[in-house]
Amino acid sequence: MAKKLKLNLVTPQKQLLTDMEVDMVVLPAFLGEMGILPGHVPALVQLTYGALRYKKDGKDFDFAVMGGFVEVEDDVVNVFAEGADLADEIDEEAENQKIKKAKEALSKKDADIDFELAEIELKQAITRMKVKRRKV
Amino acid sequence: MQSLRDIRQNIKAIKSTQQIMQTMKMISNARIRKAQDAMVAARPFATKMLEMVSDFTPDVLALPQPQDGTERWASRMFINRTADPNKIGLLVITGDKGLTGSFNAVILRAAMRFLREHKDHEIFVFAVGKKGRDFLARLKMPNLHIVYESVGIFPKVSYAHAELLGEAVIKTFLEEKLKNVTLIYNDFKSLASQTLLEQEILPFAQHAKKDNISAKKFEFEPGLLEIFKLMVPRLIKANMYRVLLESQAANLAATTNAMDAASKNAGEIAAALGLTLNKVRQAGITNEILDIVNGAEALTN
Repeated sequence: MAKKLKLNLVTPQKQLLTDMEVDMVVLPAFLGEMGILPGHVPALVQLTYGALRYKKDGKDFDFAVMGGFVEVEDDVVNVFAEGADLADEIDEEAENQKIKKAKEALSKKDADIDFELAEIELKQAITRMKVKRRKV
Repeated sequence: MQSLRDIRQNIKAIKSTQQIMQTMKMISNARIRKAQDAMVAARPFATKMLEMVSDFTPDVLALPQPQDGTERWASRMFINRTADPNKIGLLVITGDKGLTGSFNAVILRAAMRFLREHKDHEIFVFAVGKKGRDFLARLKMPNLHIVYESVGIFPKVSYAHAELLGEAVIKTFLEEKLKNVTLIYNDFKSLASQTLLEQEILPFAQHAKKDNISAKKFEFEPGLLEIFKLMVPRLIKANMYRVLLESQAANLAATTNAMDAASKNAGEIAAALGLTLNKVRQAGITNEILDIVNGAEALTN
């Protein structure tokens, strides 16, 4: 069997994957999607909001990531994501609620801090929805 | 002497206060678990990120600097030669509520000392926590500018709070050309104790390793400097998040301890009052017996 990649996925909240052996990783890089296979040259990549996909034993797994960075070196892929949710664990109903709530907060425009928080929430919820939909 | 009724009422009041304190203790005790977990979970991100930034710092600093005497962004963050020596920043993280023993007092005392030591500087203050905000706002020192405040975030700190705080700190640091930014907060040491920490968070300390890999063989998307410019604030925010979580856990631990001590104290007072109550009651009974005996004796005579 060919060489494998080791995938680490951490967010500020927690470590989601530790040295997971995978065959391939597809990243939502700043300038477009980017595939990483074993033997990739060392790289430092900025991520945007989008789907991070990895292949393991012929199966695809999707994460909705909220931007961040990826370091690739010696077949180790370190992902530092702002936030990450496994697509299968995303609850569309809950995300819809969040989008609605955030939009409501945005339309009011009174308190400045709430405004910024709502904007972030909205962006994240939309990303999660997109990733979830793509998977289904 | 107090009447029996008064003492009984007193005991009742103390017992019900004790009940409240015990409940508060239990609540913060339950929250501590969660806060500690969050703290531990947040560690890998900050440490790994620090490693990565350290790896690339020398390469970024080695990039050619502009000739006109201005400093590049990266060198401002790390070395900061062109800053205004008269302007400094102070980030104070306290709790939102009292009833935490000396938790807030310790921080505010340290903050006060800091302000006194730097009273000839322009100080830009970032206040997290209601206690610290109120205290600093009351000072009304002319050289004190409160540029950012965040209250009511405990005990539900999220990364978004750290993000906003970090954003404000970095922005002020760069725009006002602060010489440095000092952070004062309580670090979570164990369930029983917190330590006051005072550290300089900006300019960013260099942890660069000497034998680090050169960035040259790396592929960058978009570019080294562009990524670095985003990565350092990220790291600072991750660090803020860690600090907020530490502070949150420390605050809960302090509440637990303070409430534990207070409810023990209340128990002791209630017990002491119980003794007084018994004595007073016994004295009353003795008096009555004496009256009866005296009366009986008077009759036989």
